[in-house]
Amino acid sequence: MAVTNQALPGSYQLLNYRIDRQISRGGFSIVYRAFDETGAPVAIKEYLPSSLVLRTEGDIVRASSAENLTSFRYGMKCFFEEGRALAKINHPNVVRVLNFFRANETVYMVMRYERGRTLQQQIQMRQDQMSERLVRHVFMHLLNGLREVHTHKLLHLDIKPANIYLRTDGSPVLLDFGAARQTLTTNRPKLAPMYTPGFAAPEQYRDPDRLGPWTDVYGVGASMFACLAAFAPQAADARLQEDHLVSAKKIWSGQYSDNVLEVIDWCLRLDPLERPQSVFALQKAIRDIPPKKRKLTFIAAVKRKLFSEIGA
Amino acid sequence: MRFTIFQESRKGSRKVNQDRIAYTYSRDTLLLVVADGMGGHAGGEIAAQIAVRLFIERFQQEAKPVLKNPLKFLQDSMLRAHAALGSYANQFSMLETPRTTCVTCIVQAGHAYWAHVGDSRLYLFRQGGIIGQTKDHSKVQYLVDQGIIGADEVSAHPDRNKIFSCLGGLVDPVIDLGKRTPLRNGDVIVMCTDGLWSVLAKEEIATWLTSTPILKTAPQMMREAEKRGGADGDNLSAIVVRWGPETLTDEPSTITESLGLGQFETQIDRTLTLTERKGTQRDLSDDEIEHAIAEIQATIQRYRK
Repeated sequence: MAVTNQALPGSYQLLNYRIDRQISRGGFSIVYRAFDETGAPVAIKEYLPSSLVLRTEGDIVRASSAENLTSFRYGMKCFFEEGRALAKINHPNVVRVLNFFRANETVYMVMRYERGRTLQQQIQMRQDQMSERLVRHVFMHLLNGLREVHTHKLLHLDIKPANIYLRTDGSPVLLDFGAARQTLTTNRPKLAPMYTPGFAAPEQYRDPDRLGPWTDVYGVGASMFACLAAFAPQAADARLQEDHLVSAKKIWSGQYSDNVLEVIDWCLRLDPLERPQSVFALQKAIRDIPPKKRKLTFIAAVKRKLFSEIGA
Repeated sequence: MRFTIFQESRKGSRKVNQDRIAYTYSRDTLLLVVADGMGGHAGGEIAAQIAVRLFIERFQQEAKPVLKNPLKFLQDSMLRAHAALGSYANQFSMLETPRTTCVTCIVQAGHAYWAHVGDSRLYLFRQGGIIGQTKDHSKVQYLVDQGIIGADEVSAHPDRNKIFSCLGGLVDPVIDLGKRTPLRNGDVIVMCTDGLWSVLAKEEIATWLTSTPILKTAPQMMREAEKRGGADGDNLSAIVVRWGPETLTDEPSTITESLGLGQFETQIDRTLTLTERKGTQRDLSDDEIEHAIAEIQATIQRYRK
């Protein structure tokens, strides 16, 4: 019953790239690891919507009917939007597009290959809670990337742990701009808006005319919440019916600084106007958090005391 | 759930078929949709297609595996379809918003819920008699209600195609919701466009469908109706569901228990005539694809440090 699209086989030569293996598969695409002509690894995203079965063998993608061809080409527009969005952004915390081309009757996006794992995997792997230090580190850097995205008049609209990649050195990269949209050209509701329950803001469900930076801010807050809880907050549409979300401040009081918890609660406000209105405002709030008091060693305590008495 | 289902859409003697029909079901919920697009050019067809697709997509997002509130789902989906048609017209700078009628029904936990806009109908038959039906949002129905014309004069009335509520219209649609109705085994739900009900009285439809296996007689009924439509016949479409195990024939009925959680079975009728158009719609031409790629390539180069 379930017919799926065939992935390109290992060592398949795609222009000047050699496919190594499939990394992941989503509703609209397959992502491969491949090597360019110098042997450097790259990630290649192949547009291949799974709802229109198009390739049951070989490499050429064929629409199975005239109507499917129309849908296929229409979906391609969204893939182009993602490419356009990313091509403009050259930032260490945003996935970098290296090339974009057409082959096999479909289109491909070549991205820089990153080593590491997603924040989602990080959350699931850990036995103990994530430290405040790590949460702050990841999100401060991520917000730098998101700020760059917003500067280009783009919204990500699908910020969640599965779309945040942690390099082996711990720095985050924002991935998957499949839902991104140019806010200046159009923010009309589309037929099939994409959103992830728990991470999508309430306005993404019911009020697409009110999308803005605060919409991504909600996703950031929900992702931070997930880092602490190891599960997503209650879905926004359900919250609008009956809000069961317990504030972060209530759950983790004492375990994390009040300010981190307050920031999470602020981002997760249902009313878009009550959230931080820009990434900058959010960064400022996080930056303002006083560093956790470290327990002073005996010597240091004595030193401090001495200095304060001397008046230095 | 166990039921037998049939759907068919025929062009009649028109060049294009502006009717769209579809059903989809999860393990525990069934959705039926019929839409009859209106207006010239491709507009009507697009409108009906958009409405049907929107219902199916929303259903698959929300029926996991049941809908929390079926009537609210129907009403919300109608309003969203109406809004989607408006924004579609906007996006493609169309002079006129594509419009469509819509009748839709949910069966969940042994109860039927339905909603309609315009003059596509739902009939619910039990043991050969009618126990539920929608009331058209049409001028002639109004005239009948006021006692100005008789029910038998409707199908020949000059204004029989005028409706006052539709999706995509200038004013918000009037949406009628059918109250929660318990179903019994053997009940038959028929949803159809005016191309069918204008040539077959509901008593005749009942005769065709309530005492014989629907998979056998429903196709015969459609052929007969198309024949009656004659040289001027409209598009005609119907979805027929016989609830419960099929007792009139050995043919197997649909049993949904084999579906896993989150799985759906969907049938969208593809009587598509839109293929004749030449890149005027949302379709991307080869040139546009090449252009888009060139643009992205150039952007990548420009922002490369």
